[in-house]
Amino acid sequence: MASAEVITGKASASAGSAPVPGVPANVDPVFYAQLKFRRRQYEPCIDICTELLQRNPYDRAVWLLKTRALTEQAYVDDTDLEEQGVADLLMDDNAMAQAPRPGTSINRPGTSSARPGSSLDPSIRPVTASGRPMSGFLRPSTAATAASGTARMRTGSARANSAFRGARAGSARPLTSLGRRVRLGTASMLSQKGGPFIDVQRLDLRKYAKRPQLAKALCDFLLYHDNNPRKAVELAAAATVVMGYSDWFWKSRLAKGYYMIGLMREAERQLRSALGHQPIVECFLELGKVYLRLDQPAAALDAFSRGAEASPSDVSLKLAVARTHELVGEAQLALEAFRRVLHYDASSAEAIASLAAHHFYSDQPEVALKHYRRLLQMGLFSAELWNNLGLSCFHAGQYDMTLTCFDRALSLAGDDAIADVWHNVAQVAVGLGDSALAYQALKVALAADASHAESMINLGVLELRRDRADTARSLFSSAQRLAPHLFEAWFNGALLSYKLGDFQEAYRQVSQALEAYPGHADSLELMKQLRRLFTLT
Amino acid sequence: MSAAARSILRERKNWLVHELYVRRDFGACLRLIDEQLDASGGLSEYALYVKGMIRRQQGRITESLQLFQAALCLSPRNVRILKQVARSLQLLGKHRNALSVLEQAVVCGASEDWEVHHAKGVCYLFRRDLDDAINAFEEANSCHPHESTYLQLGKAHELKGDLTSALETYMEALESSPDSTELLTTVGLLYMRKRDTDKAFEFLGNSLTHDPRDPKTILAAGSIIQDHRDWEVALSKYRVAAARTPHNPHMWNNIGMCFFGLDKFIASVACLKRAAYLAPFEWIVQYNLGIVHLRTGQNASAFHHLSAAVQLNRRLGNGFHYLAVALGRLGDPDNAISMFERALKLDDGFQLRLNYCISLCNCGRVVEAIEQYHEFVRALEAAAKEDGDDELLTDPDIIIRRDALAKALNIV
Repeated sequence: MASAEVITGKASASAGSAPVPGVPANVDPVFYAQLKFRRRQYEPCIDICTELLQRNPYDRAVWLLKTRALTEQAYVDDTDLEEQGVADLLMDDNAMAQAPRPGTSINRPGTSSARPGSSLDPSIRPVTASGRPMSGFLRPSTAATAASGTARMRTGSARANSAFRGARAGSARPLTSLGRRVRLGTASMLSQKGGPFIDVQRLDLRKYAKRPQLAKALCDFLLYHDNNPRKAVELAAAATVVMGYSDWFWKSRLAKGYYMIGLMREAERQLRSALGHQPIVECFLELGKVYLRLDQPAAALDAFSRGAEASPSDVSLKLAVARTHELVGEAQLALEAFRRVLHYDASSAEAIASLAAHHFYSDQPEVALKHYRRLLQMGLFSAELWNNLGLSCFHAGQYDMTLTCFDRALSLAGDDAIADVWHNVAQVAVGLGDSALAYQALKVALAADASHAESMINLGVLELRRDRADTARSLFSSAQRLAPHLFEAWFNGALLSYKLGDFQEAYRQVSQALEAYPGHADSLELMKQLRRLFTLT
Repeated sequence: MSAAARSILRERKNWLVHELYVRRDFGACLRLIDEQLDASGGLSEYALYVKGMIRRQQGRITESLQLFQAALCLSPRNVRILKQVARSLQLLGKHRNALSVLEQAVVCGASEDWEVHHAKGVCYLFRRDLDDAINAFEEANSCHPHESTYLQLGKAHELKGDLTSALETYMEALESSPDSTELLTTVGLLYMRKRDTDKAFEFLGNSLTHDPRDPKTILAAGSIIQDHRDWEVALSKYRVAAARTPHNPHMWNNIGMCFFGLDKFIASVACLKRAAYLAPFEWIVQYNLGIVHLRTGQNASAFHHLSAAVQLNRRLGNGFHYLAVALGRLGDPDNAISMFERALKLDDGFQLRLNYCISLCNCGRVVEAIEQYHEFVRALEAAAKEDGDDELLTDPDIIIRRDALAKALNIV
């Protein structure tokens, strides 16, 4: 979604006759730089512009080109929801209600996701560290349990600990959502010769605001390259005034700046006003994003669907709808939305992967297999995909393919995925009744990633079958420490303690299990038994 | 102030503590108790006792133990407090310490208290000291018969492997509390273990009339209904249970086999797969999956599931038996025969002999096949005699196969 309209070259004002390095002879250097820009070869384009600007610092066309090239280089598609930072999670000043009604909040998906039989049910589908059911497609997302600590029994430090943990194993959460951008900005600054290209502090923004073409490029430069939302807001505000409050572009940029600073309500107002001028897909997406950040999924859905009315064949809005449904835990609605996405874009990897995951977890591995095969045909080639193919093959009863798929997954897997693949190999081994192989695979998984809690839990169960209760108990307790979101670790530990007669421990662990998964039938039963033991005189 | 006056002051508000405690108004009760403990310098025995009880019900056993021990310091020979200390120790899994406290209680004059003996029995049970446990429970019952004691006594008998005594115990308990669903279900399950399904069904049905939604009872009753090939009824029973326990692998296993009985193989495999997903270590699920696949002619899948089943349960004769059939159909006679031999070591039956004979016949080993044919006829007659009717000998399925084999092997 490139922003300002491309300014076709006014190359006439180019400088002297000395050849510019990197430009063929008899070719106008500005034209050549523009060619490079259009071919997305930003590095040579910037080099030529820098050289030209040294010769003539007041050449506006070159200045504009260089600004745009630098912006494009640092451009990130920010219409997706980014990961929330620790600061946002712990000091959430946008929270609307302490105890929202079920189904109206992302942070507390409510009863719908735990509904037995749905494919998002935690006892069928595993849960990520953020406390959400594993999605079919990896995307940054908000945390469920960490953020909703307000109404829970969590102590302050436990809440902070879970907030610092990233959504994936071994990853950390950025401190603020802006933090990642700032770091990227400084890193790219360093690589520049002779200091920053534009010294923002010395710019007279009001002067630029009167020149719309330059100002648009400068504003995007400030937002994407400099990561300086404060200045961008200043510029955008001035430009809006100049344009007589009637240009959607400046309002949307104003909103983007406000969003980066964290002023959600202001961003919302600007976006609504921008949409009043012209229904732009990007603005609808941004508006939805603002609502999601405010934890108002219903309002976000409304924004997305209004956008879909305005531009019926846009895929990104439909994807956003599907994602939002999944965040709230409405599996069935999400499924339909993903199907609609595929209707318009038959090779949307996110939609295919999500559908595949849904079918896999609702006892239709054959259908999942079809979807994954489609992904393979589209040219995706990753450890995760082969791993999923292997699992689908196994559950669909195609044993001959299973192990070759896992072989490929293992040969492709990097450090972050290899433990997961071995864990699944163990799962298959258990399914074949080969507990020795399962044991070894889990050991390998733990060797690859010593903090792989899922493997620890399964290894604990295998140790229990070998009558080594002490080893099992220590495995369960390390898994509980590493991954408090996994109810399996708590429940298994509780059951073991209960059988050994240590009811105090059992009670503690089963309460934790119920906090991780309030609807777990077996935990509830165990809790009932313990309560009865405690109240009996 | 005299000691007596101080003691009266300490106990002045005991009635209110008691009142709040039995109303389960724990917050107010704890506040009052803390006030009283502050005023008395921690010397108020009843307040300590009630606080201990509340803490235990809140699941904080260690804290409640400390409170009871503090109360015990104030009156070391109080049986009631001794019992609570023992109970806390027992809940914490320290059964030996609990036993010694209980001994102390007996010394302090509680030899006629059923609770003490019951608690002793429970501790012995956890230490797998079954004879002592049984003695303790019987002692408790002689003081004062109680349902929970009967249940524990029955459990001790069951652990000892003495099902008849266990059954007697439960029946005795049923006389005093005939509408206890737990007892009724336990008796039903026991009859099932003794393979007396009619009796079992009687008790389970009785239990279901008191609590029609108990998943455990439904599962047991459903499995008996299934044994009588009444698939639709069993399925309707499971539908009730599924709402309560949607992730019970045994229930999914039974549902799968109901569908198998109804010849709905795809539904059956789907249910069994879900059971296997939820309980990967259950051999019976893998065994059933193997059988369903054998029935639908998917021999390779059947082989995988059956081999998983026999890996999980090495003493599963029928598992080896059907594994051999799968191997025979897959065209691997040598391994099939070795599996048949292995199955024969574990258990014997006319079906096994029949399948063995068919497999041998199919791969052209006539001499051995004839031998197995005679074994089969002998086993069939023996089985018919044991059942006491001639139904087996006139079963058309068996007759057709026997005659076909006889013809193929030239036996007259």
